Amino acid sequence: MSNGAGGPSGIITRTYKAGSIIYFENDKSEYIYILKSGKVVLTSLKLDTGEEVKEEVRQGEFFGVKSALGKYPREETAQTMGNTMVLVLTPADFERLVLKNANVVRKMLRVFSNQLRRIVKMERSVLGEGEIVNPDAELFKIGEYYYKAGILKHAQYAYKRYMEYYPDGEHAALAMKRIRGIDAGEPAPADLGAHDAGPGASPARPSGGGDDQSPNESSGPADMIDFDVSPEEREAPATASTSLENEMDDFLSDTGSTGPDDFSHTGTMDDGSPRELNDAADASFSKRNYTTALKLYQKIISLDRRTSPDERKLFEKAHFDAGRCLIELGRHKDALEILSRVLRNFSNSPYVKSAIFHIGTIFESVNQKDKAISYYNKVLNMSPKDKLNSEALNKIKQLQGR
Amino acid sequence: MDLDEKFFEKFGVEYAPNEIIFCEWEPGNEFYFIQSGKVRIVKLIQNREKNLDVLTEGDVFGEMAILEEQPRSATAIALDHVKLLKLHRDNFDTLMAGNPQLAYKLLVIFSKRIYDAKRRLMILLLEEPQLKVMDVLVMLAEQDPHLDLQSEISLNVTAKDVSRWAGLTEDDAQKELTHLSRTDKIELFGDRIAVKKIREFQRLVASRRKNMFQ
Repeated sequence: MSNGAGGPSGIITRTYKAGSIIYFENDKSEYIYILKSGKVVLTSLKLDTGEEVKEEVRQGEFFGVKSALGKYPREETAQTMGNTMVLVLTPADFERLVLKNANVVRKMLRVFSNQLRRIVKMERSVLGEGEIVNPDAELFKIGEYYYKAGILKHAQYAYKRYMEYYPDGEHAALAMKRIRGIDAGEPAPADLGAHDAGPGASPARPSGGGDDQSPNESSGPADMIDFDVSPEEREAPATASTSLENEMDDFLSDTGSTGPDDFSHTGTMDDGSPRELNDAADASFSKRNYTTALKLYQKIISLDRRTSPDERKLFEKAHFDAGRCLIELGRHKDALEILSRVLRNFSNSPYVKSAIFHIGTIFESVNQKDKAISYYNKVLNMSPKDKLNSEALNKIKQLQGR
Repeated sequence: MDLDEKFFEKFGVEYAPNEIIFCEWEPGNEFYFIQSGKVRIVKLIQNREKNLDVLTEGDVFGEMAILEEQPRSATAIALDHVKLLKLHRDNFDTLMAGNPQLAYKLLVIFSKRIYDAKRRLMILLLEEPQLKVMDVLVMLAEQDPHLDLQSEISLNVTAKDVSRWAGLTEDDAQKELTHLSRTDKIELFGDRIAVKKIREFQRLVASRRKNMFQ
């Protein structure tokens, strides 16, 4: 190879002997070449079969363009056949050159977009029918997301597009209702639980369809599938309870606990809003004053105030924290009972995962190793992955190591 | 960029701050070229809005619509007052003939897209789920030029992301990740995955891929 004198715009010319390699597959380089004379063969491997493909570059044609522009390694090896002369361009040279030749860019763009279309198609066919996605349902969900987030302008946009493209879609009625509501200046929803059960609400999807009912909940139904409380069970709470209650039966046969009617007992605690009660309860809990904390959490439960999302959250939290108090107090069966209520009644609640984890600790504390592991395993498989997943993993490692 | 006035008169659109330009899952037939202003690209991931990118003057977005009509994969929202060229797929050829600079821009974008799509396809074509998951991590590591692949690296991905790229169910991806974490190859965190020796994965996947065709 030799570097010739610069071309008209400072572009370098190189000459190669027969059989030289201009570049190898996987090389990283920003150069783009034009074949001036001689012969260049590009050799690459077919993605799906590993078959070798050889392609001859014609005189005047570019090669090495995509990898240079896309800044990724060469996907083919370029080898000369016979004495060959090429022009070597930097991306800047290339840009200058093609801007003067709109036709060149256009042709290349045509080639590239066909390649891209082909690859994307292949990708989709490999992914197969596995992904059953309904664009209409998904578009509606975008609207719902912004609606629940109180960003009504964005919600309105999505609902309107929905009506434009899917006027007969299964969510059309609800989308229309939302659009009218927003037009009429109705405020962002405070409580969606009831609304969503309306005629236009999404019917249960195979993935569980629970997310529409939970405005303040981020873990979608797909995250829950691993767990015993599967979608069908959530629709029919009775089923969910049996599995856990059976476990409770063989859990502890002694009746040392005070039983579930304990929860109807509200004690003589001061009145207060759920928020105030909760704060007092949390304070007691942090001081390890579990009996007092338990009473306060039970008070929140008995108030049964669930109109605002905040109240609903406190109501769910009270169940969960009452369970934690009961664990601390050694009342395992009661703890199990109330935590199972969290799973059963608030399957979309952020406390579900922790509740499952704590059920694991209950079984662990009474040496029911296999059950403990199975609950930790459920936590391990739940999204979003957070500290609790790693804690569950540690627990499993520990229990299996024992 | 030197686009004449007439061009903007014909294809120009303007958006006010915080206005949606198009939204995820809506069918797309146009692609956009930013004349001025900033555009935020977001996507709902696990029911949360996640920022993917902020684009600015000279950038192109929605370009997949050039290929065929398919749902938008993300939402584009005007960040400030935005002036765009809104170009329909059907006018593509004429547009490109008159605007080599725009065409060049698209050439660069398509080069990247082609590579990215091929790279993803390579993962999907692997046979064993374990290898797929490893190769997803390798791909993500390769995409970040700031990473030192010789030492432990941290990738901002969740099991769900991994499952998508690997073409696996979330459960299966999680199983493989758990296995890798039990064997101390990786460490799982809420929003990221740490890989101890990504080079090892790279070598393993490369050699399996080679053998696959023999």
